[in-house]
Amino acid sequence: MNKYFSTKMSLFVFAAPALLLFTVFCVYPLLPEIWMSLHDHDGFRNLGFVGLDNYREVLSMPSFWTAHRNTYLIVGISLLLGLPLSMMLSLFMDVQTPRLRRFFKTAAMFPAILSVTVVAQIWLAFYEPNWGLFNSILHSIGLSDWTHSWLTEKKTVMPSIGLSFLWQYIGLNAILFYTGIKTIPKDYYEAALLDGASFAQVCLKITIPLLQNVIKYVLILSTLGSMAFYSHVRVMTAGGPGDTSRTVIYQMYYMAFDTSQFGKGTAIAVIFILQCLFISFVIQRFVARGKLEF
Amino acid sequence: MIFLKVLSRLFWVAVGCTFLFPLYWMVTMSLKSKNEAYANPFGIPASWDWLNFGEALSKYHFYTYFQNSLIYTAGTIALTLTTGSMLAYCLSRMQWKFNSAALFYVSLGLIVPIEVVVIPLFQLIKTLHIKNSYLGLILPYSGFAIASCVLMLYAFLRSLPKELEEASCMDGANVYQTYFRIIFPIVMPALMTQCVLIFIRIWNEFPLAFIIASKDQFRPLTVGLLSYFINVGVADWGLIGASMLLSSLPMIIVYLIGNEKIENALTAGAILK
Amino acid sequence: MKNKSKARAAVLMASALLLLSACSGGNEKGNSQPSDSSPSVAAGSAEAPKDSAQESAGTDGKKIKMRVITITTDENRNNIMEKFIKPKIAEALPNLEVEFEPGGGGEDMANKLKTLNASEDMPDVFWNDAGYFTPLKSTGSIMDLTPYISKDGFLNKYSVPDALKHVDGGIYSLSSGADTYFTPVIFYHKDMFEQAGVQVPATFDEFVQISKSLKSKGMVPAVTPGKDGWGPKLFLLQQMIQIGDPQAMADLVSNKTNFDNPSVQEGAARIETLVKEGVFPDGIANLDYGPAMEMFTSKKAAMLMMFTWELPNLAKDETVDFFPFPSAGDKYDPTKSVQFWGSPLNGYAVSGKTKHPDEAVQLAEFLAMADALYFETTGAPISLQTGNPSSEKSPLMQKFVDWYNPIPQKIASMALNSLDARASAEISTQGANLLTGEYAAADFNKALSKIWSENTWFNN
Repeated sequence: MNKYFSTKMSLFVFAAPALLLFTVFCVYPLLPEIWMSLHDHDGFRNLGFVGLDNYREVLSMPSFWTAHRNTYLIVGISLLLGLPLSMMLSLFMDVQTPRLRRFFKTAAMFPAILSVTVVAQIWLAFYEPNWGLFNSILHSIGLSDWTHSWLTEKKTVMPSIGLSFLWQYIGLNAILFYTGIKTIPKDYYEAALLDGASFAQVCLKITIPLLQNVIKYVLILSTLGSMAFYSHVRVMTAGGPGDTSRTVIYQMYYMAFDTSQFGKGTAIAVIFILQCLFISFVIQRFVARGKLEF
Repeated sequence: MIFLKVLSRLFWVAVGCTFLFPLYWMVTMSLKSKNEAYANPFGIPASWDWLNFGEALSKYHFYTYFQNSLIYTAGTIALTLTTGSMLAYCLSRMQWKFNSAALFYVSLGLIVPIEVVVIPLFQLIKTLHIKNSYLGLILPYSGFAIASCVLMLYAFLRSLPKELEEASCMDGANVYQTYFRIIFPIVMPALMTQCVLIFIRIWNEFPLAFIIASKDQFRPLTVGLLSYFINVGVADWGLIGASMLLSSLPMIIVYLIGNEKIENALTAGAILK
Repeated sequence: MKNKSKARAAVLMASALLLLSACSGGNEKGNSQPSDSSPSVAAGSAEAPKDSAQESAGTDGKKIKMRVITITTDENRNNIMEKFIKPKIAEALPNLEVEFEPGGGGEDMANKLKTLNASEDMPDVFWNDAGYFTPLKSTGSIMDLTPYISKDGFLNKYSVPDALKHVDGGIYSLSSGADTYFTPVIFYHKDMFEQAGVQVPATFDEFVQISKSLKSKGMVPAVTPGKDGWGPKLFLLQQMIQIGDPQAMADLVSNKTNFDNPSVQEGAARIETLVKEGVFPDGIANLDYGPAMEMFTSKKAAMLMMFTWELPNLAKDETVDFFPFPSAGDKYDPTKSVQFWGSPLNGYAVSGKTKHPDEAVQLAEFLAMADALYFETTGAPISLQTGNPSSEKSPLMQKFVDWYNPIPQKIASMALNSLDARASAEISTQGANLLTGEYAAADFNKALSKIWSENTWFNN
């Protein structure tokens, strides 16, 4: 059958359009980018070849490392907090009454369909130190000591922004998990439940293992999505105060567009892409390797 | 026991409500006058002030931008789903010695944030003479959306039993017939999910559209709203609320309809199994 | 060695460009589509008198297409577009078909123009700004308007024509001149001062004292936009240096001194004092322009540090008055020196690559005049004469003009006239840090000293 199916012609027809589109518009633009990172470039003029100087300078900047710490904090929040929460949401969704489930599904994905600008505005209003929602609540329940100027204190700014990000995408990931759960044949559960397994056991022993491909997909998506975390910061704090809440992409933008050092900005972009390559390689290689057997 | 059940239900309803809070906030904000928005940012408006909507609608070419957004989004979805699902099928089911290499190559697409390549992309679009046309955005959008589409469909296709094609093959169908008649309908749930994901992404996309769709007649909603947003952004939360709601409204409606569709498609997919 | 690598890179760049242009030869026209549905403003549409349209549109009757990118940052800009540009352009320039593109402002605008310039897609007329002037100049994308506006007499309409000149002697932008009347002051609510029993302060120490009294009455003493270091960069640092030693500030703007000068260093120290003494509300470092304004107009805050471009709006509230930044030493007298906003680089500029320079200059002149006509209606002083009889000024505006005009030493704004893009961005960053209260003035001055030494603004 395979020989009959996989002729050169059919392979070409199936693979070529997408690969072409992808290569031309997604991969090709990286080449000028790499070229630029080896030059002193202000965005308009090339001021000469500088070899790896841009990389050296970028790596010696403290704000580059602040940006990395922030980015990996966001990655940590979304993997260690976000994914387990999304999984729990999806498992619970599976056992709810249809009406409640429909409401829940509609609601859960809602934040993700809004543009970041809208979501960030809302959270700005929550965090506002003088009349914002969180401080108002804390004052009214007598916990005035706990109030913070959330987005201007060095300790609270990044977790605060991280929370808004978590909240926006937790529901979306839950839906993706849930779509996966729906494709698992029902008789698997029924057999297990007949054997007297508890709900938790079914989840751990049957649902989650059968979901590995979907989990892997969501894992890659949210790791890389949080690596590229940028827009929330742009709207909520503009990377501030100072460089406290800059992420790697923000730092890249800052170097290239704000300070007109495109060479350094693109050097950050290249370093960033290498990290992402490495991470996704690790996930591809070591997560969910076992073949699924139905 | 019943008490616990009710309690857990209430809990989930409450969790659901926190997700819906922005909707409440946008609606109430849009009905507040400028002063009330500051004095009473989270409560119910004292009086309903519809003026914000009139003002928001009268100041920009809402319908043109709306139509453009729709064309960009629909075009990207059609192109991405067709080409992407075919590639996913090829990678998961067909014998090709570069399968795993190609999969890894495509997953690169998840890594490249569109912001990183705005300048080279812009020059490319100019070179290809598609700048002032809908293709100028649809093609790069598709290029960037393909990665996630392929990876997701790949995961789904791999979990399908091989017998489907074997049966079809026995019936004498060729690979194209098998794909479009048998496989395509089965992966519909995943396609619908992907459709919604792309919709969200493209409808709200800003950085690239801002640079490429510079002509007024090709601007999508996000860019068309920009001057307006920045403009009112410095002064008036009521207007911000109204314009946020107006720009999100199509998205919300499409999502509510699409959400039902996904549910139907999911059940259909489950029955097919 | 360096030259060699430069040459090699230039060859590389050139061949890349050749490749690009080889593929793109002459197809631009084929792509332009009829823009019937486009909401662009078609000049000389049906309403325009027919004969005049024919007269100036030339023999072929075809209109010249012009592309304009404007700033769209605030209510003023929107009003100018809706009330003074769109309704009048058809009559004024019947031979042009003008498409307006909103450019946003600040960074968005700069990024957009930089990208357009890098890909040789500049609009015919655009709003110029110091933030992207240098790269545009170096690629020939901005035109010296002197010959055009001298010939047609537009230059003579300015009360101070010299104010239009850039340091290199060229005139690159046409504006209403309203900018030169913008200066930072401290607006305050008279009734709130009365309520707290405080007087307008004459010295910096008094200012801190009254802030404490206001705070003890439950009011926010003072606000200013702090997000991304807006206030510190645009005026607060400059004011805090100037009130101690105006000459040091004037020297800094002309690069005769730097951040190792103790008089300059005191500026940051004074900002630190303001933050530590609770003059500003919590979260000032992330406070946006709009919310800052709102805190003042809704009387949550008693004082607002802001440029006088908000004066016409604020004057509508009768309880609002203003005072200059109070003195922190003998060297400063608010009637002897003042900061002014304008830069000769702010205004409508014409692309050096436009195909129709004469028409583009006319368009820029029309737009500058539209600005002037608008600011005139708000009662703001302007230096581009509109020919209209001067209107009655509000008492607050009169007070401002009476104070501002006779001041002998007008110090240019550091933010517009002495910083390259990098220094400007870094000062924003550092300024926001200073407002958090978690950052010492000494650290700020150390960072600024380094930034200043790497500043390339004065190199050209």
